[in-house]
Amino acid sequence: MKYINKFAGMALGMAALSVAAAAPASAKVEGDTIVLGSAISLTGKYSTNGVHAQNGYELAVKRINEMGGVKVGGKSYKLKVVYYDDESTPARGAQLAERLIKQDGVKYMLGPYSSGMTKAIAPVSEKYRIPMVEAEGASRSLFTQGYKYLFAVLSTSEQYLASSIGLAAEIAEKNGKKPSEVKVALAFENDPFSQDVRAGVLDDAKKYNMKIVIDDKLPRDLSDMSTTLTKVRAVKPDLLVVSGHSKGAATAARQLKDMQIDVPMVAITHCEAADIIGKYGAESTEGILCPTQWAETLSYEDNYFGTAAEFDALFKKTYPTYNTVPYQAAQASAAVLVWKDAFERANTFDPDKVRDAIAATDMQTFYGGIKFAAEGNNIAKPMVLRQIQDGGYNVVAPSKWASSEVRWPRKPPMN
Amino acid sequence: MSISRRTLGLYGGIAIASLVAPFVFDTYISQLTVLWVMVLFAITWDAMGGQMGYNSLGNIFFFGAGMYISAVVQIGLHYDVAQYTAAYGAIKVDFTQAQYHVGLVLGTIVAALGSVVLAVVLSWVVFGLRGPYFAIGTLGIALAAGELVGAWEYVGAGSGISLPVFPGEPEVGERFFYFAFFIAAVLSFFFFRWLYGTRFGLAINAIRDDEEKAEAMGIRTMRYKTITWALSAFFLGICGSLFGNYNIFIEPLEVAFATVVFGIPMVVMALLGGKGTLWGPVIGAILYHVIKEATWKYFLGWQWVALGLLIVVTVVFFQQGIMGWAQDKWPELFGIEVEEDSAEGDREAA
Repeated sequence: MKYINKFAGMALGMAALSVAAAAPASAKVEGDTIVLGSAISLTGKYSTNGVHAQNGYELAVKRINEMGGVKVGGKSYKLKVVYYDDESTPARGAQLAERLIKQDGVKYMLGPYSSGMTKAIAPVSEKYRIPMVEAEGASRSLFTQGYKYLFAVLSTSEQYLASSIGLAAEIAEKNGKKPSEVKVALAFENDPFSQDVRAGVLDDAKKYNMKIVIDDKLPRDLSDMSTTLTKVRAVKPDLLVVSGHSKGAATAARQLKDMQIDVPMVAITHCEAADIIGKYGAESTEGILCPTQWAETLSYEDNYFGTAAEFDALFKKTYPTYNTVPYQAAQASAAVLVWKDAFERANTFDPDKVRDAIAATDMQTFYGGIKFAAEGNNIAKPMVLRQIQDGGYNVVAPSKWASSEVRWPRKPPMN
Repeated sequence: MSISRRTLGLYGGIAIASLVAPFVFDTYISQLTVLWVMVLFAITWDAMGGQMGYNSLGNIFFFGAGMYISAVVQIGLHYDVAQYTAAYGAIKVDFTQAQYHVGLVLGTIVAALGSVVLAVVLSWVVFGLRGPYFAIGTLGIALAAGELVGAWEYVGAGSGISLPVFPGEPEVGERFFYFAFFIAAVLSFFFFRWLYGTRFGLAINAIRDDEEKAEAMGIRTMRYKTITWALSAFFLGICGSLFGNYNIFIEPLEVAFATVVFGIPMVVMALLGGKGTLWGPVIGAILYHVIKEATWKYFLGWQWVALGLLIVVTVVFFQQGIMGWAQDKWPELFGIEVEEDSAEGDREAA
């Protein structure tokens, strides 16, 4: 027994030592560098978008540093972001947020990717009174908790598909049908974001009294939705709505093509992030409606990136693998701009004062207007709806921003 | 198993280190807290996989069940659960100190008992299976539970539940959960240490070594298997309830019934340390956790490769785990080759 005990004691001691040897807590501002922290999904089911967001953060950090950094108290500071991989699981998110705050001494946070991760991390940053500007958590439930330190630059999730439902009603009326005759098929991932989008769609459909003919959950790994599509083939809905982040979008686009599903109107979230045109070709994705937080064709502008189109060009130049710049990256960059703006207005590093400066944000960026409601969500920027037309994304709604007429019915190639 | 002075000294040392650690290494308290979660995982898994030879891949089911049972109890005491968990427009809640603590204690008790009931019920199904079929069958239960809870609107379905936040200063909350997990882990360790020294321990070892013979000798194998699973479930239910409150946000697929994040590592930790030994799972859990935390910090981008490598190395070179390997390498350290002391050696090996 005693030898085993000795051995166990040794192992425990070693473990304690290796924990103790890790770097001690550093300051929120190291020399001339302001340290922001973010737990982001670099692996797991959200990794595609996690990397988009990280690229967005990095591009904005680079740009701000090149332009002279952040001026606080008459001195110039560079920005830097510390990252952890949250594995796309909320079970890790909270721990990593604690780690950023307690071990890395981070006093200013950038958000993770997805509503679920944000829901896991927000209570932690709130607990420590650390302001967090997030760009990727859209669920409405984030903004009903009374959080004081959470700010989101993006529009909330019920707005994603509202215009698709409106459009379906409009088209039905144009064709002499009543909106209440419109049959809607839904397929959503079972995660906080997609389910909140679904709740929004159900509300909107109810307004028009539309019939929900299919209401499916995408499977956990999001790699197959053929059962839903088989039902779609049988009940012939007028509108098919799919939301499951990038993986769900890719699966939907692939199987719509493979199974030759012919629905006059299809709306999918995260088309750009999944690069469905690049993956499955312009022909098979023709006519798909894609809600987006931001489009490079919109007439937004700021002093850091210039116009939306110029941001688009700079992003593609910096990361040549992108065909289309996903809005997830653009809004991540916008979140970093909010930080810079707030630091300079606060003119101090005191987290509470910086928090108040963020709350008072009212700025125009390449990504759109940013002004926070008391609940923390951005109320100065609309969602737009784009349609894939001849291999490009064209804005079709709302009419203020529309550059093209919506094409209906959708006519994918049939073999 | 008499407790020698040295043993007492060791336990005392560990106890003092554990009590002091959250204050000395204050900034590392979240890792230390999760360390005890990992220790609990490994100890409870080893009771099944190591001592009884039933390699369950579905023990995470009880962790998730405990988490949800407790959440429903805690919320249900003061609010309408369905309204609380509605996907959007969630109601703003405010738990007082008393409401929070009463809810947590009550929730944890119900979670532990509920997990035991679930284990007993499920044992009728799964213990008809042996070997790999048992492993896959239990995995199926964990996966199915995740899907079922994920489709259940009453508990928020895939949107999960945001549990009440610990009232009071964050530092106090952190220490509270550290000690809660510490106490749970220590209780389970000493409980199983005691159990393995009794006739019950010998019986489940007999089941591991040869179930038919054990049965032929008059051991009521089904009863022993059910009780072992229920004990495992009891501690996992407590662990799940506490973890849900520690993590604040819970959801079915990635937190509660998290097969990849927690379910599989349970097995890895026990194998790494040496399954079927008292200290093996503890050492395995500590090593696994330290390696994981370190690679996540210093090898970002390669962390899964490092972890995969660790599993491969364990399986290829240390099939008996660290404790088993050490026993083979230095048997005299474990009193195994010493003839006059063989009785004690046997017990240790068990």
